[in-house]
Amino acid sequence: MAPSQASYAPSLGKLLKSLNGQTLEASIESLIYLLKRRQIKGDDCADATAHLLRQVVAKSKWSDVDQLLTRVQNVGSRLAQAAPHEPTIGNIVRRVMGLIRDEASEDRNADDFGSESVEDIQTLSVNAPQPPKPAPFTSRPPTLATVASFHASKAKSMFNLLSVADTLDSPATGASTPMSQAQPTSVSALRSEVLDGINEIMDEISQADDQIASFAEVQIQPGDFVLAYLPSRTVERFLVKASARRRFTIFIASLEPPQASSSNDPYAALRKKLNAGGVKMVSIASNGLMAYMSRVNKVIFSAKAVYQNGGLLVDSGASVAAQAAHAYAKPVIALGGVFKFCPEDPSDEIAGETGDSSSYVSYADGSKVDALEVENTVADYVPPELVDVYLTNLGPQTRHHLASIMADHYKPEDVGFSLIPGEV
Amino acid sequence: MATEATGAPAGATPPQGGNQTTAAPVNPATTTPANPAQLTPAQLKAKAKADKAARRAQVKETKAVVAAADAAKTTVDAKGNKGKGKQDGPQSQSKTSPQHRASVSGRRPSTLAVEKDVRSGIPECFSHIPMAKRIPTAQAHKDVHPAVLLVGQQMATFAIKDSIARLEATLLAFRKVIGSYETPKGNSLSRHFVPHVLNPQIEYLTECRPMCYSMGNAIRLLKAKVNDFDIDTPEEEAKEGLLETIDLFINERITLAEFVIARNAAKQINNGDVILTYGRHRLVEKTFLLAKKNGQLFDVSIIDDPYDRGGQELASSLQQVGIRVFYSPNLGGLRANVERATNVLLGTEAIFANGSLHAAAGTADIAVAATNASKKVIVLCETINFDRERVSVDALTYNEIDPEQNTSESFRLLFDTTRDKYITGVITEFESGTGNSPAQAILALLRKQEDPTAIA
Repeated sequence: MAPSQASYAPSLGKLLKSLNGQTLEASIESLIYLLKRRQIKGDDCADATAHLLRQVVAKSKWSDVDQLLTRVQNVGSRLAQAAPHEPTIGNIVRRVMGLIRDEASEDRNADDFGSESVEDIQTLSVNAPQPPKPAPFTSRPPTLATVASFHASKAKSMFNLLSVADTLDSPATGASTPMSQAQPTSVSALRSEVLDGINEIMDEISQADDQIASFAEVQIQPGDFVLAYLPSRTVERFLVKASARRRFTIFIASLEPPQASSSNDPYAALRKKLNAGGVKMVSIASNGLMAYMSRVNKVIFSAKAVYQNGGLLVDSGASVAAQAAHAYAKPVIALGGVFKFCPEDPSDEIAGETGDSSSYVSYADGSKVDALEVENTVADYVPPELVDVYLTNLGPQTRHHLASIMADHYKPEDVGFSLIPGEV
Repeated sequence: MATEATGAPAGATPPQGGNQTTAAPVNPATTTPANPAQLTPAQLKAKAKADKAARRAQVKETKAVVAAADAAKTTVDAKGNKGKGKQDGPQSQSKTSPQHRASVSGRRPSTLAVEKDVRSGIPECFSHIPMAKRIPTAQAHKDVHPAVLLVGQQMATFAIKDSIARLEATLLAFRKVIGSYETPKGNSLSRHFVPHVLNPQIEYLTECRPMCYSMGNAIRLLKAKVNDFDIDTPEEEAKEGLLETIDLFINERITLAEFVIARNAAKQINNGDVILTYGRHRLVEKTFLLAKKNGQLFDVSIIDDPYDRGGQELASSLQQVGIRVFYSPNLGGLRANVERATNVLLGTEAIFANGSLHAAAGTADIAVAATNASKKVIVLCETINFDRERVSVDALTYNEIDPEQNTSESFRLLFDTTRDKYITGVITEFESGTGNSPAQAILALLRKQEDPTAIA
């Protein structure tokens, strides 16, 4: 929820500061703890993951691409398991792994061919013979094999590590193997290239909100009544940007009344900014949203993740807003950077996640505590048919275009990554 | 802006009060130059301290005006006694309750000034929607009966809040009004009672909180009864007749209706069902308890309204008789709850002539979700809550603003409107046995049954 943003932001900052001073393992552990305690959540997860993977690439010892991939994958799945409710962690891990594969093949091909365009074709032709393309399942056995062999070799010497990598270099082990041919001499070059690539991902994450906001003017027209459900930082920036050029009215909706302890308005800062732009902001203190929908022109909220079917993982209650909008045939605009696009199918467990119930039933009331099965849902799923526009840092998208964006950003062999258990 | 707000009604009043010669001296009191001048900068700065001072100033001002207005009224009333039925307003008011406010405040400009202040936070696009308000008993019309005063306060503070409870409280208070009524010399009850005794009570109640539709229906029937009396019906006989009407009304339309509806609805609950409901509604609760008593084994899934939390009370009352309860504190778990449920049982405040529900905000969201998931949505409603004159397709036509949530930052509507396409069936005390008649069928029956009396 919005009010808590202020309280968890420092812990991310602290973590990022400490990254350089700590050993890699300590950094991983402290991030895992922060994720488990949900002191880092939402968009910060992606940022933190990218920072940590950067450390993995920079600090850990690796001598070829497969080792690096395995390292990243192991750390990645530990993070993803620490916060299964944050699919963006997996997205970033996939992005980094794809990046490593790209850089590695680029390196290798750069030796053979001079130009990049030829290299692209080469990559295609290398990948083409691997039979079935929808890869989660075909890619699993080889990656599992790499994990296993990595562990098997762990106790052995550095020399053995290399030799294990060599034994993997057989056609049967799948797409990742050819890259293990990368020469040890190119390790430092590869490292710096991968680090640059991760920096780019980090830039993408940090700039996503601004880029999304740049489409605000197109989406919001003068005189609109916009319903923003639990505005995240992304939505806030979007609205503030729109307020610079447009006069409209914003309804802010949430399921719960503001906490009794904090009597002040959680959106005071946003209100101030919007009022400065001459935009009216009204908090709608209501459980249901159907009552207001006849007045509303469009509904805006941010997605925590966009699944490959076009469904959204959202804050609890956003599906109520989307459903009400749908009933009145009002457009629903979901905001979210491309890094939130998750090449998976939605999971019921995450979308039906329940949270703390203590604020709803007083523990002083024993009979109620015993009797009630309180279900405080904290995450929610919006089915694809309720979403009209996916507004990303690459511009507005439709459901039909999502697949090609996913394909652009993830390698098929990395799609199934989170299925693999971490270090056993 | 504040000057305009306070200035406008005062300026608008003279033409309205033009035929009331005594209303003229009231207006200068509201427009005393000093007060608005103090108010404007205070409101503009919106600093807490200044605001408080402004409010105090206004209260003072109001008191002064009320004193003047009361003085004015006494003269009006004196006139009214001579030339009968001077107050046209009340009669037209009782027909259409939401419009009461305008004419009421026309009669008493001071309340409009206070009201503007309370309502200043309301966004422009919702400014047409009325809101309950607490009126100090000292400011009430002098003709308001003490019992009605009490009921009015209870309604304004939402101590009595659902439509049937309000109706019952009103009728019981009116019983006392009738009991203590004495026809003035030279007048007949059938001519004097409604305009001079009943209407001020209704006006006051409406000022406290806009009337609910069951109250409107009941008052219409009561007035019809008064009109039925011959001009020279003895007072005692007429009073007896009215009291009897009220008693019969409470018995038939409230007590018996509740029993029949619960009985019919309980038949709809089968072993193994998971029934989803929203908040706490008397009829729904009765139904669950009765079905349990009948030996049905079922679970109840309650989605609560976080602004009311009635669902918690429902949960503990159900749990006491051994019904398994799933409790969701808000609509967040709507999807999962609807998927688990076998059908949905909802209570409502009123049903409009086009079959739309007028029910606690959030009801529509549940009905839509259930309809999308192809679950049955059954509504329980007494026929007295059917409004056969009004039609509403969205929640902004007839609604009320929640005074508790009305601040400069936030805003809340008490009700929403559920279109009939999201409702599988309505159970009333009428169609005994069939639980799945659409609202339209019941409306048609009601029209047939009640129209003769309504016209008379």
